[in-house]
Amino acid sequence: MACTSLPKHPLTLLRAPINKSSPPSPPAFPSLSNASHSQFFGIKLSASSLPNPSHSPKRSMLVFAKVSEGNVPPSFTLKDQDGKNVSLSKFKGKPVVLYFYPADETPGCTKQACAFRDSYEKFKKAGAEVVGTSGDDPSSHKAFAKKYRLPFTLLSDDGNKVRKQWGVPSDLFGTLPGRQTYVIDKNGVVRLVYNNQFQPEKHVDETLKLLQTL
Amino acid sequence: MKPTNVAIDDPTSLRSTWSHRAWVASGFASVLTPLAKSAVAAADSGSVFEPLLAAYAGYVLADLASGVFHWAVDNYGGPSTPVFGSQIEAFQGHHRWPWTITRREFANNLHPLARAVIFTVLPIEALLDVMEAGAAAHAFVGICAGCVMLSQQFHAWAHEKARRVPRAVAALQAAGVLVSRQMHGAHHRPPYNINYCIVSGAWNGVLDEYKVFEAMEMILFFRFAVRPRSWSEPRPEWREEEEEAEEAAAL
Repeated sequence: MACTSLPKHPLTLLRAPINKSSPPSPPAFPSLSNASHSQFFGIKLSASSLPNPSHSPKRSMLVFAKVSEGNVPPSFTLKDQDGKNVSLSKFKGKPVVLYFYPADETPGCTKQACAFRDSYEKFKKAGAEVVGTSGDDPSSHKAFAKKYRLPFTLLSDDGNKVRKQWGVPSDLFGTLPGRQTYVIDKNGVVRLVYNNQFQPEKHVDETLKLLQTL
Repeated sequence: MKPTNVAIDDPTSLRSTWSHRAWVASGFASVLTPLAKSAVAAADSGSVFEPLLAAYAGYVLADLASGVFHWAVDNYGGPSTPVFGSQIEAFQGHHRWPWTITRREFANNLHPLARAVIFTVLPIEALLDVMEAGAAAHAFVGICAGCVMLSQQFHAWAHEKARRVPRAVAALQAAGVLVSRQMHGAHHRPPYNINYCIVSGAWNGVLDEYKVFEAMEMILFFRFAVRPRSWSEPRPEWREEEEEAEEAAAL
């Protein structure tokens, strides 16, 4: 679907972020003037022109502040589709594209997973790892990965704990888990946070674009 | 649930009965009454702009309503669902044998909608009478309900071969006033998840571009753990059959 410049999505008004305490965007980063309109059709919470990101990673001081660009996200250990424990720290030394998606076997998530699969070689060329995570259990992930021949890791965010901890916002009055992707550089610093519920393939384009600049 | 092709197994079920005709006649009466009231009120007041605008709004809303209803019955429930069971089964059968709708006689095709329209319009009109509503309100109700009731005929015309559709209808389809064969044909492709509106089809572009139905499906999935049928490919026994192949098989 070709989407160039879309009018503000009427359902944007219904978005309810999980995180009530923090403001929608930290004012310190000039790049936010580039953030485009609707939540459903893509908000980029950072651009590639960051001031000294790798020299001074900002750690979030507030317990409830969500993970945003420039932060070092809290680590986690989750089970993958084979039931093995996987920690975020395992990927240190190479960039990671960590994408949070609503659920296996739903149309948008399938499109997104297949889009990442089809561009997987490009991610590997950039030296990056792709990791998907949702609240589904390992057996659901295993079936999903097998059905669509997904070559990357899928993690089970049991109880959506990591999703909440990272502050991934929900859509439509909290009824829909948000679709948000983080690009973490090889030093473990978040360099891009991209949210787009209904144009899942765009997550691939945006993350690849960012990876080219790392 | 074994699908039955009524056109071949039970062709008499496509003909209109007197009960069907009675329902459709009553449906027309319940739609024409508010239109008549509107005409009288407009003549009295001398203003036609408002009722005409309201009529147009009714026509526009009917298209949206047809899409929402169509989406709901295509995706959820089954033959044993209360009230809607037979409609759901009919819509599923329609996906398998889409051409059958062109074999249904007029009242046979329209009577379920006529029934729904009667039971909706009568209380609304009663309320409007109590409120002494003007020409615009009656025009809106009459046109909206009328388009909803006739939507099944518009739907049938959208399945009919081009040469068999009355010239005036073909012109209206080409103008986008009525849903066209191409517009509706896009719905009849697995997994049947787009182009649900069947009055004019004008809403289809917006609804599909903004993934409105997909959003609703996701909400229902996360709320009630129910998957819509359009998320999976149709089961083999429900796949669409070509008209010629089916008729040949029946000979």
